[in-house]
Amino acid sequence: MRVSTAQFYLQSGLQMSNQNAEVAEQMSHLSSGKRILTAKDDAVSYGTLIGFNESLANIEKYQRNITQAQSHNNLQEVVFSEAENLLNAIKEKMLQANNGAMSVEDIEAIAKQIGNNTEQLFDIANSQNEHGDYIFAGYQSNQQPFSQETDGRVVYNGDDGVREIQVAKNIDIATNQSGAAAFIQVKNHLGDFMGDYTYASSDSDVVLATANIIDRGAYNTSDAPHTLNIDSVTSHLTVIDSNGVAVFPTAPALPEPYVAGQTITFDGIEVTLSGNPLPGDSITLTDQTTESIFTTLHNALTWLEQSPNSSSQNQRQAQYNQILDQLSSGLHHMTSRRVDSGVRLQTLDGLASRHLDAELNISQGKSTLEDLDFAKAISEFEQSKIALQASQQAFSKVQGLTLFNYI
Amino acid sequence: MTASLYQTGVSGLLAAQQHLATTGHNISNVNTEGYTRQRAEQNAAVGQVSGPNFIGSGTYIQDITRVYNQFSYKEQLTNQSKLGGANALNSRLIQLDQIMSTSGGALTSSIEQLYLGLNGVADNPDDTGLRSIVINQAKTLSNDFNSLNDNIDQIAKSVNGEIEQVARSISEISLEIAAINDTILQSQGLSQGGQANDLLDKRDQLVSQLSEYTRVNTMVDNNGVMSVMIGQGNTLVAGITPLTLEVAAGDPDPVQSSLRLVGPNSSVALNAAQLGSALGASVEFRDQHLAQTQHEIDRLAMAISATLNNNQASGLDLNGQQGINMFTDINTLALQAGRVASPSTNAGNLQAQIFITDTALVPTDQFDVRLSLGELVMTNLTDGSTTNLGPVSGAGTVHSTPFGFDFVESSGAASPDDLFIITPGKNSAALIDVTLNNTHTIAASSAVGVSASTNNVSDGAVVITAVNDPQAARTYSSSTNAGIMVDVFESPAPAAPGTVFEYRVYNAATPPPAIPMATGTYAAGSSAVIDLPPSPAAPAFQIEISGQLVGAGTHARETFTIADAFGAGNGNNALAIAKTQEQPLINGNNETFSQNLATATAKVGSSASNAELVADTAQALYNQAYNRNQATSGVNLDEEAANLLKFQQAYQASSQIISTANTIFDTILSAVR
Repeated sequence: MRVSTAQFYLQSGLQMSNQNAEVAEQMSHLSSGKRILTAKDDAVSYGTLIGFNESLANIEKYQRNITQAQSHNNLQEVVFSEAENLLNAIKEKMLQANNGAMSVEDIEAIAKQIGNNTEQLFDIANSQNEHGDYIFAGYQSNQQPFSQETDGRVVYNGDDGVREIQVAKNIDIATNQSGAAAFIQVKNHLGDFMGDYTYASSDSDVVLATANIIDRGAYNTSDAPHTLNIDSVTSHLTVIDSNGVAVFPTAPALPEPYVAGQTITFDGIEVTLSGNPLPGDSITLTDQTTESIFTTLHNALTWLEQSPNSSSQNQRQAQYNQILDQLSSGLHHMTSRRVDSGVRLQTLDGLASRHLDAELNISQGKSTLEDLDFAKAISEFEQSKIALQASQQAFSKVQGLTLFNYI
Repeated sequence: MTASLYQTGVSGLLAAQQHLATTGHNISNVNTEGYTRQRAEQNAAVGQVSGPNFIGSGTYIQDITRVYNQFSYKEQLTNQSKLGGANALNSRLIQLDQIMSTSGGALTSSIEQLYLGLNGVADNPDDTGLRSIVINQAKTLSNDFNSLNDNIDQIAKSVNGEIEQVARSISEISLEIAAINDTILQSQGLSQGGQANDLLDKRDQLVSQLSEYTRVNTMVDNNGVMSVMIGQGNTLVAGITPLTLEVAAGDPDPVQSSLRLVGPNSSVALNAAQLGSALGASVEFRDQHLAQTQHEIDRLAMAISATLNNNQASGLDLNGQQGINMFTDINTLALQAGRVASPSTNAGNLQAQIFITDTALVPTDQFDVRLSLGELVMTNLTDGSTTNLGPVSGAGTVHSTPFGFDFVESSGAASPDDLFIITPGKNSAALIDVTLNNTHTIAASSAVGVSASTNNVSDGAVVITAVNDPQAARTYSSSTNAGIMVDVFESPAPAAPGTVFEYRVYNAATPPPAIPMATGTYAAGSSAVIDLPPSPAAPAFQIEISGQLVGAGTHARETFTIADAFGAGNGNNALAIAKTQEQPLINGNNETFSQNLATATAKVGSSASNAELVADTAQALYNQAYNRNQATSGVNLDEEAANLLKFQQAYQASSQIISTANTIFDTILSAVR
């Protein structure tokens, strides 16, 4: 084929500039270490790559959220463990106080200590976090959740709000417990009811041992409250509802005296008693499933302030038992709250390590797609370089060849 | 006899001279663009009859011709056109790909940062510092949208500038070709047979330039006058009459400029997309690739604005007020009107607007709406599918479409065949702005919350599914009512146990037997959705009741309380906003915002890589055609050097003939002296 002179120069120039461009492009890949610089380099992988980047960004977000959630839950755990210690101390002191050998002064000292402990618990319930937010106020985090009335009762001013934060694709985790859940909703140790006692004599010491709703379908609030009566003459045990209808014993069974350990069942409620009911005693059931820990402590203080030498020793002892049981229930409650935070922390730890695994996986996938195979890239680069050199040399040799040199 | 030897020698001398001149011309034009090598065609002169013999009488140069193969030249021309188009598209797409990959990347990270900020607020709702981070990130995001949009605008402007420049060049070429035609026509008349080689080269060179801009077809008549057709056969040069190419502003969109072929008595609109080569590529890039990218960016800006604004409106800010828009409202009157363009050719004066109803359903396509037989017919300009929007019914009529927007007649009346071009996302990225300035206006708090009674034992559930008016919801649940109670229980007399469930919703202050505000049933596996306050009052929020619970009758109910949840520490709405990052809220609820942006970028990338392949192929094809053409018509210096020697020798030899003739003549003269 005839090759024109212009063609030769044009072709050589074009080829060298192509090879130059190739070398330059390979340089840019080599110096960035990336196979994909813009979407053009591999449009299909680019989409996947952005997906990976998005997942990584999400994981980073989750990890930040987890750190936040951990710090919140850690703080709660610490607070609850303090509360546990305080309640333990109070319980020990209450046990001491029941010792008949205690003098009035001793009891007063114990009352003072318990009073102090109660103050501490009150302060704990009003804990603030590093932002100055009250951690047990629910959503009302900028107002003090617990306040003391003049009569010593503690009221809760927060709400039931539980803040949540996203820690994984479909997992939100709570970062707070409301003050109500933490300190107010301590399970009633009796079950679902409290008792209102009317004693016929100072010797009476009958109290509720348990009072539960066992059949919600049968229990109708409009018939509450129910009253257990011991007939002052026959000692027969009967139960009437708020309408005065006798619901225990159910006909055709006839009323009979209370037998120790007997289970009394009526209208879906099951009641057992402790102590010995005397004729004329009556107990009215109040529907109350929880009691505030502060109420329990208030009761304890009131009990301590009563003279130990009052006439109704039996009743005082019965009250003491109930207070102590409720204190135990409070202690359990604190433990369960603490466990609640602990479980969340555990979940968070698990999620954090899961995110780390996922992060590693995705980073690997991303690297496979995005990162340059240096060995391959360098050898290709060398190849292009040699090709460029060769065409440059060939050009410089050939372009000197012309017949005019010989004329 | 001798005289004829003289003549013969002189004719050889003259021929060699012309050869040498032609060779010299070739050599000196070795670097002339578009030059075709020339050759002197030499012929032997007819001999003189002498007796029975013809005695040769030398030579003459019959013609100097171009060594020209019109087929290989045409092939080169066609490939040049293709190469021009492929290169133009390729370089434009590379530019767009780089912008999308870098600016798009910046946009993705702004979106991520904004959501990180929102997560921070969800965790610490009353922290002013975190709240101001959100506002600043939102500003960064809107700025990124604005600047990306500016970039795209700039590209559109530069493409339009290029189109104008090319049109001007084409017009100039057209004038020149016509002038050359004129000269050729005149010179052809004078010298019969001979050709104006260099003029022809010049003309071919102009045509070849033209082919870089547009597809070209040429036709040469018997007089050597060339007619030039561009695009789909529109005549640019008719003999000696040149036409010019003019750029007119687009209608209705002035940015989509159009081309007209203007002659002395005519003006014809050209289909710019059919012009081929660089001009066609520019128009294709502007009207397809760039426009598509613009629509994607606009839709994304619109969807993000709408999503964050709607979620803001579901919550309460630090002052207990309903959250205001975070970004510019997507349905401001100006935006609504800007989405409809009507060509000036419309006979009626109907003004229309587009009201966006659901950004998740809005496509990136453009639509046109035409009044045909009294009905508005909407056509998707991408796939050609049509939707009937019903009859025109005067101002205020809303024509809803299945594409997440409404076509609203705002004023005036339409005439038959009036046309409206709809661009649903128009201006969204250009006009997105942050309307939230005060940190306390971020609506982090939810208005109402549901709490389940601790006595609930099985799987009843009440959730708040939507809040239209958080302030009203709050008032309604805590002031109008002293807390709203929801009881859920198994229907006491079911057809079969565990199949039908009942609910009742009542004011906590007036429990049953007072009449509840809502009661009803739902079947196992389904749920009940209730607006509160119940109709006919305007609903403030909506709850969904579900669950298959155990225990029949109203006594064994599960109880839920709906109450005011507003508080400085309530970050539930911020959490809900933060979660929209991972929800598929765009492109028919198929993609998240970042995914959508990635898809748009990948589309540009794949077009760009495709265009690069096409350009490479076109370059290879052009090279082959060029080589073939050069094989015939190109100047080779070695060949010319050889020719130079050859003709030099011929010249010397011819001189020798004259010298010989002279000697012979002298010999004869001396013989008779």
